Amino acid sequence: MNIRVRIACMVLAAILIGPVGGAPVAAAPGETISLAFLAGYKEDVLRANISKFEQSTGVHVQIDASPYDDLYKKTLLSLSTSANRYDVLFMDEPWVPALADFLAPLDDVTKQIDLGDFVPSTVAAGRYRGKLYALPVDPNVQLFIYRKDVFQQRGLKVPDTWDDVLRDAQMLNDPAKGVAGIVTTAGSDQQTGLYMLLLMWSYGGDVLDKNDRPSAETPEARRGAGEFVQLLKYAPPSVQSYSFADVNKAVQLGKAVMAIQWASGARPMEDPANSTVAGKLGYALMPKGPAGRDPMRGVWTIGVAAKTSHKDAAAKFVQWITGKEFGTTAALYPATSSAIHSPRVSVLQDPKVDAALPYAPALLANLKIARSRTRVPQWPDIQEALRQAAAKISTGAISVPDGLKELDASLGRIMAK
Amino acid sequence: MVRYARGGLPWLAPGIAFLLLIDLFPLAYAVVISLYSWWLVRPSETHLIGLGNYVGLVTDPQVAHDTAVSAVFMAGAVSLELVAGLFLAVVFAQRARVFDLVRPVILLPLFITPVVSGTMWRLMFHPDLGIVNYYLRRIGIAGPPWLSDPGLAMVALILLDAWRTIPFMFLVLHAGIVSQPHEFFEAAMVDGAGAWQTFWHITLPLLRYIMVVAVLIRAMDAFREFDIFYVLTSGGPGTATETIQMLNYRIFGFGRVGLASALSTLTLVLVAAMSLALLRLLARERAA
Repeated sequence: MNIRVRIACMVLAAILIGPVGGAPVAAAPGETISLAFLAGYKEDVLRANISKFEQSTGVHVQIDASPYDDLYKKTLLSLSTSANRYDVLFMDEPWVPALADFLAPLDDVTKQIDLGDFVPSTVAAGRYRGKLYALPVDPNVQLFIYRKDVFQQRGLKVPDTWDDVLRDAQMLNDPAKGVAGIVTTAGSDQQTGLYMLLLMWSYGGDVLDKNDRPSAETPEARRGAGEFVQLLKYAPPSVQSYSFADVNKAVQLGKAVMAIQWASGARPMEDPANSTVAGKLGYALMPKGPAGRDPMRGVWTIGVAAKTSHKDAAAKFVQWITGKEFGTTAALYPATSSAIHSPRVSVLQDPKVDAALPYAPALLANLKIARSRTRVPQWPDIQEALRQAAAKISTGAISVPDGLKELDASLGRIMAK
Repeated sequence: MVRYARGGLPWLAPGIAFLLLIDLFPLAYAVVISLYSWWLVRPSETHLIGLGNYVGLVTDPQVAHDTAVSAVFMAGAVSLELVAGLFLAVVFAQRARVFDLVRPVILLPLFITPVVSGTMWRLMFHPDLGIVNYYLRRIGIAGPPWLSDPGLAMVALILLDAWRTIPFMFLVLHAGIVSQPHEFFEAAMVDGAGAWQTFWHITLPLLRYIMVVAVLIRAMDAFREFDIFYVLTSGGPGTATETIQMLNYRIFGFGRVGLASALSTLTLVLVAAMSLALLRLLARERAA
């Protein structure tokens, strides 16, 4: 092979291999870390503030934002293969057990952080088998939302139990005026499964027992799921096609008197430009059932890849994004959609934050008693099985006992894999 | 059969290498992976299970349901697109200046990405805010819950797909019609054939070959459709519009690489079998 052909081959190989090979390289003059992040409103808040971190540390952050479904896929692929695409990862808390094997424990990082300022349940979101793999950034929790003005006019008390909610939903439901007693999701949206699980918890049921064996077919689980189906009778007529955004739209347009929604959806409800009910909403503790009161926790956390070659820079970023300064800025960020809420008690009790977020006290109160979904690596598969069962149950395609039987069988297959 | 000179092989080599690299090797690799239990969350526990993934899929009622949904959608969408595309092609084959102006407008949906059109139609079908029910209400009809009724959700998906791809059918069939020899039509006119007789006995038989090609392309596309399902119904209500592609997307999303590869392979076999049947039909048309 002559020299010209050899050079041509080397150039071709460099072109072909270059884009796919190798780990992220530090860019001059400072280090560059790659961050997997959630696309949308949380990304907007981060991008608006990231320059503060970069200027103070000299570390450049390359943000790769993806929608919810893709973020888990990309994170899992990056961590479990030799791709090493990301140094720092923004993770929904149910992902932590599945990804823990690929994450660096954050014990050293936490030495420099005042963990006492965090709502304790939010720190637990990043813990798995006794080790802390992620720190909380955005403490999401389900809220019970109601129309203060309507309740006052009708002389009603804020519901404390699910039976109260059902009674009030029936009383306030007025299809002729296009106003539903309660709104939540039903049908194929993954939130449907989570809302059904919320009710199952309140009645003493769950999808897995204490030994992580399928337990969706218990009488308690049936009662909880049954109560969920009862509530849907007083939801908007097309609730079977509702998603997270549709629940928000119904509340914002004044088409529902009560709602179960994640705290991350509450911000736009209080935006006078986009909501006809801004200032008229009340936020309460999640109603209780015979087994107790269990608002579901869904904390967004930040973790560091075990294989990263930028551990120090990654640790600095974790400290910054979980810090009080970013937390306050994020909570006050003038988002048309939702903002990142800080997991720090000092931020959630800050008068400025309370003035901007009328639901902050309820967020804090619910967070303190919030319950996590079962911490098993199979949770993403379990949540999908739960979604399918809840979708069929909530649309009446299958009865509650048959749906839970089907769910139990799916859980058995998932846990056996 | 075309015979190439002996020295031609090196010239074909880059093309063959490219085909192997981007097509055949990944395909073969996917088939190999499908024989393994491989969960990305536990890569160290990957092990060979032979046809285990396939057995699991074939016995899973969800797979059968989702395949049936894909088939129903494909049949409904392609039939509607063929009829509407043919109708438009025949109409636009008439010589009228106004058609030259309208033609680009008809083609517009072709240039809109599926996700954008799905989002647009989701808003249009919204029970309270959507334009479809708004106009139905204006004429005194209570708008149905398009996306929360299992049957209507499928109708909505078929309508959306038809809106997007009728222009493709129209283009292909229109090209076929305008290239048909004039002699047949002149002879029919001399013999006193009416418009319907001319269409039924001349236009349609001459167009059959092109129609089969167009249906083949669209059927393969429709069976593999994902975007509009994901955006418009997310497989709902319940799991009424969940297709085999959505199931595969979810399985892969949970890191079940072996299982997802097995489902991809099964889908490939299904599409290949369907295509083969249509290709045989095509060969018969050609022979006739």
